[in-house]
Amino acid sequence: MAFIKLNDLEIEVEDGTNIVEAARQNGIEVPHYCYHPGLTRPANCRMCLIETYGTPPGAPPGTIAPDRQLATGCTTTVRTAPPERKYEEKFDAIIRTDSPRVVKAREDILEFLLVHHPLDCPVCDQAGECDLQDFSHRHGRDKSRYVEVKNVPPKKDLGPDVLLYSTRCIVCTRCVRFCQEVSGTGELGLINRGSHDEIDIPRSHEGNPIQVLDNKLAGNVVDICPVGALISKDFLFKSRPWFMDKEDSICTGCSVGCNITVEYKEDGVYRVKPRFHEDINQHWMCDDGRLGYHYVNRDDRLQLPLKKVDDEQTTTQWADAINTIKEKLGEVEAEDIVVIGSAQGTNEDNYVLQQFAHDVLNTTQLGLFGQLPGEEHKYPQFTIESDKNPNTAGARTILGSANGNVVLEGEDLWQKVASAKVVYLVSGVPDRKLQDEEKAALENVEFLIVQDVLPSEITELADVVLPGTTFAEKDGTFTNSTGWVQRIRKTVDPPGEAQVDWQITQQLAKQLGSEINYSFAGEISIAISENVQGYEEATHQNIGDAGVKLA
Amino acid sequence: MSDEIIQLETPFQFNEENMKKVDELIGRYPIKEAAMLPTLHLAQKQAGYISPAVMKHVADLLEVTVMKVKDVVTFYPMFFEEPVGEYVIRVCQTLPCALRDCKVVLDHLKEKLGIDVASETNLAKGTTEDGKYTLMKVECLASCDVAPVIMINDDLHKNLTPEKVDEILNNL
Amino acid sequence: MVQQKRILYEHLDVPNINTFDVYRQHDGYKRFEKAIAEYQPDDVSKMVMDSGLKGRGGAGFSTGLKWSFVPKDIEPRYLCCNADESEPGTFSNRYVLEKNPHLLIEGILICCYAMGIETTYVYIRGEFTLGKKMLDAALEEAYEQGYLGENIKDSGINVNIYSHPGAGAYICGEETGLIESLEGKRGQPRNKPPFPAVEGVFMKPTVVQNVETLCNLPFIVDKGVEWYTEMGPIYGDARFDPPKPDPNTGTKLYCISGDVNEPGVYELELGLTCSELIEVAGGLRGEEVKAVIPGGSSAPILTHYELDTRLDFTSLTLAKSMLGSGGIIVMNETRNIVDCLLNIMKFYAHESCGQCTPCRWGTPWVRDIVQRIADGEGRQEKITRPKFGIAEGGRWGDTGETEEIYEDLDLLESVANNIANVDTMTWNTICVFGIAVSWPAVSYMRKFRPEFEATIREGKLTTLSVEEATVPPEENYAFQQRIIPKEMSELG
Repeated sequence: MAFIKLNDLEIEVEDGTNIVEAARQNGIEVPHYCYHPGLTRPANCRMCLIETYGTPPGAPPGTIAPDRQLATGCTTTVRTAPPERKYEEKFDAIIRTDSPRVVKAREDILEFLLVHHPLDCPVCDQAGECDLQDFSHRHGRDKSRYVEVKNVPPKKDLGPDVLLYSTRCIVCTRCVRFCQEVSGTGELGLINRGSHDEIDIPRSHEGNPIQVLDNKLAGNVVDICPVGALISKDFLFKSRPWFMDKEDSICTGCSVGCNITVEYKEDGVYRVKPRFHEDINQHWMCDDGRLGYHYVNRDDRLQLPLKKVDDEQTTTQWADAINTIKEKLGEVEAEDIVVIGSAQGTNEDNYVLQQFAHDVLNTTQLGLFGQLPGEEHKYPQFTIESDKNPNTAGARTILGSANGNVVLEGEDLWQKVASAKVVYLVSGVPDRKLQDEEKAALENVEFLIVQDVLPSEITELADVVLPGTTFAEKDGTFTNSTGWVQRIRKTVDPPGEAQVDWQITQQLAKQLGSEINYSFAGEISIAISENVQGYEEATHQNIGDAGVKLA
Repeated sequence: MSDEIIQLETPFQFNEENMKKVDELIGRYPIKEAAMLPTLHLAQKQAGYISPAVMKHVADLLEVTVMKVKDVVTFYPMFFEEPVGEYVIRVCQTLPCALRDCKVVLDHLKEKLGIDVASETNLAKGTTEDGKYTLMKVECLASCDVAPVIMINDDLHKNLTPEKVDEILNNL
Repeated sequence: MVQQKRILYEHLDVPNINTFDVYRQHDGYKRFEKAIAEYQPDDVSKMVMDSGLKGRGGAGFSTGLKWSFVPKDIEPRYLCCNADESEPGTFSNRYVLEKNPHLLIEGILICCYAMGIETTYVYIRGEFTLGKKMLDAALEEAYEQGYLGENIKDSGINVNIYSHPGAGAYICGEETGLIESLEGKRGQPRNKPPFPAVEGVFMKPTVVQNVETLCNLPFIVDKGVEWYTEMGPIYGDARFDPPKPDPNTGTKLYCISGDVNEPGVYELELGLTCSELIEVAGGLRGEEVKAVIPGGSSAPILTHYELDTRLDFTSLTLAKSMLGSGGIIVMNETRNIVDCLLNIMKFYAHESCGQCTPCRWGTPWVRDIVQRIADGEGRQEKITRPKFGIAEGGRWGDTGETEEIYEDLDLLESVANNIANVDTMTWNTICVFGIAVSWPAVSYMRKFRPEFEATIREGKLTTLSVEEATVPPEENYAFQQRIIPKEMSELG
């Protein structure tokens, strides 16, 4: 640990920490644009200038004065110095981020940054979460002295989801470095020189693209753009950031378990952004996950239970649907029942489900259902997994946690389903296509109960459809492929009369005389921690924002 | 995307002689990318200008992305992205030449060739219709003792006057 | 009159000196042979250190000291020869390349021997097509003659030299810009530290030297340190006790252009005055010297009051200007300083690499302000600000009084100083391009303020007489703050 004097604070920081981070850890803001903790540091924006102290050449030892040049905070790192090189006999570095020179330098740089920047904040998506706006407000001058003509480079279409408003760009090159270092795809670069520098994809001289920004991590460039230059087409003109509520959650696109923030209003989810997790997704997420939230908002979401009457599904009341199921379950033996949990469901959903199967229905025949495997994509600093479910690992363990439970998957499962009389299938998998053997097996089932979020090939086959909830509408935990148990949190209300999946299962159980009675997901997590091996620490309280890694 | 991704139906290829040179150039550096500038100079000599096909070919040879090539091509004013005239006339206009009346030379050339001065993003406006001449301004050519100077393709012409310019153009 | 002392240029005009045979007849490669026969590599480095040779590219940094920073335990190490001569007013390297390329090769060989370097890249600016052709031909000959390649003349030394063309970017003359460009990228300078000596081209230790610097090496090796240090002044740095020697030794290829009768390259011992150089170059073309740029277009301008300044690294630095690359541009009484500044600012706005904020957007801003003034559209509004001048104690500083100044002139000075501050010598930019922009902008405006004011007032370019255009010495910040260095011999 290095011991440094930062303004008037005397603080310890880890060796190798740069000043922007050291300051941030201690509640001091060092404004910056080009610096991003996940990328290399070109120090080109010159915004994070700080004042370092040292002994001037020729001065007697022990003299401490500000160095002549200001240094960039992002590239200045601190290290433990040998005793003879410590300042005032104890400090490894003395740094000021608030001296008059630094304050003036920030004002000067901001003035330059705003020279060509348009004053279109009222129509800019970034307004409200714009570093240029915020730092200008906090560190800039109140007026510009620039009276010349502004550069007006054209707006550009860079790829399927990314637009570039070149006028707003401050050429920090975060996006360029992202495409070189993290995605390794290198679609973005600078064109021209000097004040005519623009970010672009490679184009012919006439402006036709030779390559487009279409890698699966492309959306991250919008997140890291410190101004409103790179804009997501998906979010364009949709909402002011300050009108949205935010909740931390986990992406359901694959088994990586990227940490995300869901931004929403009463009428639905508006945007999903990655959230930093050092061991899982760093600062990033993929576009499949980023744009995968749309199904939550769909108009055709299941809102009421459906019941098949004379081969036709009609909406019905919850009480009726549950009664119908109760009656049917009363007619069959335990060995004729298969209960299938979902890799899209939470650990809590699956825990209550297996409790229902094991304790209430007395069946040990469980199955695991989920999205079909997709492609794996490997980038230099990011991998998208082929398992397109967020909770395969968790669902598998938890469904199989009770004594004697067998969790069937794939062919084994469908063979079992084909010979079952009653199948309770919790899906929640958006737009799941059924494969032939799956469809054949399900068609064979005498009485099929499907709990799902959207109408699909599966719900069409069902005798009773129960409207469940998506990740955005419930609390719970997912376990990713590397054994991290992480929290998802409720954002919007379920549509219509749809209910949280474990609550539906619990209702069924109660109808069948069980005493299962959880009142919130956290309570289930305590039960999981007590009963599932490996999950001892995985209560909601312990998991918090950082997650818990399974032993 | 509103724009179609352009298909490179007639890809550029280095001719045999130049390909040998490129191989030799690449061998000079520990990383292939370092051969970028000399390779682009060669390509421009062969193709006349750096078209998307040239960029693609150079990118493949040097194992870099097309954007890296584009990035370099647009940074350096000596690389052209559009066709230029058979004779590229570069008129130095920096202070030492300015003190020796380079403007007279430039104006004379403009009038004589009947064209404007090309800009880096619009070479066409500084190119004669017959495709013979391209007129452009450049920064200091490091020949301030013999100012004003112009460069026509690879040749430097010194101590110019309008009369001398006429003579040079006549002898091309 | 000061006489030329042709050492680097001694054989420049010998017919066919560009060929190996003729070069050989004039002691070619014998200095290199002497180096490897008589000296250990470290001896050569020591000679270079002791000679006081300062880099001729612009910064004037001690060559020997630079070499001492190169870690000897990291392989490979590289030498980059900077032949990207682009500073307006400078043209001495061109002649070396076109007329005497073997001298450069010999210089490179000596540097490589001293530093244990096996690979050299000569970065030649793209416009030097003839220079590159001549160098390439000379390289071919040197390979044929066994002075390049593996096991040179059975010495066990391997040296390869490759020429590498630039493509028209001034910034590639900055050593880290050159390195980036050599690596096949945009010529955007790197943050320092690490300096190239530690982490340069291909992230390996790299020595970057100007053509002229390298061409000095054969003569230092051949004729010795004593001979070399007799040329040019050795000043004493009085901040130290006893004064620390500050050598400005050797000759310099002074390039003189503009309003002189015989512009050209003159090789002279360092330390002659500006007036003396004008005389050497055939005298002034015109009636009166209005201004002199002493070190390429980025150097702060000198007024006719400052012509007694000696043209060496130390004297010019202490006169708040610089020798830079030794490009002297002379302007006579007919010249308009606003117009000259506009020309230079257009150059810098065009050449800014665009990497860092202050330079990318500050440089064109400065150009636009000067353009507006030159177009007669300078704003008539004035502002009141603190007046700097001879303050209490006779020192330059805030006088406590105020002055009125045209808003645009204040803006020009302020914007330029925000890119790089010429008073504190601090820059907000990554590289020294920033100071190369603000030096001319601020110095021209301050030293020739009456001409700028007249141009704004009249609404058109207005050329004043030399007397009227120049601020008097007592108001000239540089003149008032300049220190005239003393030679060691004077200090005793």
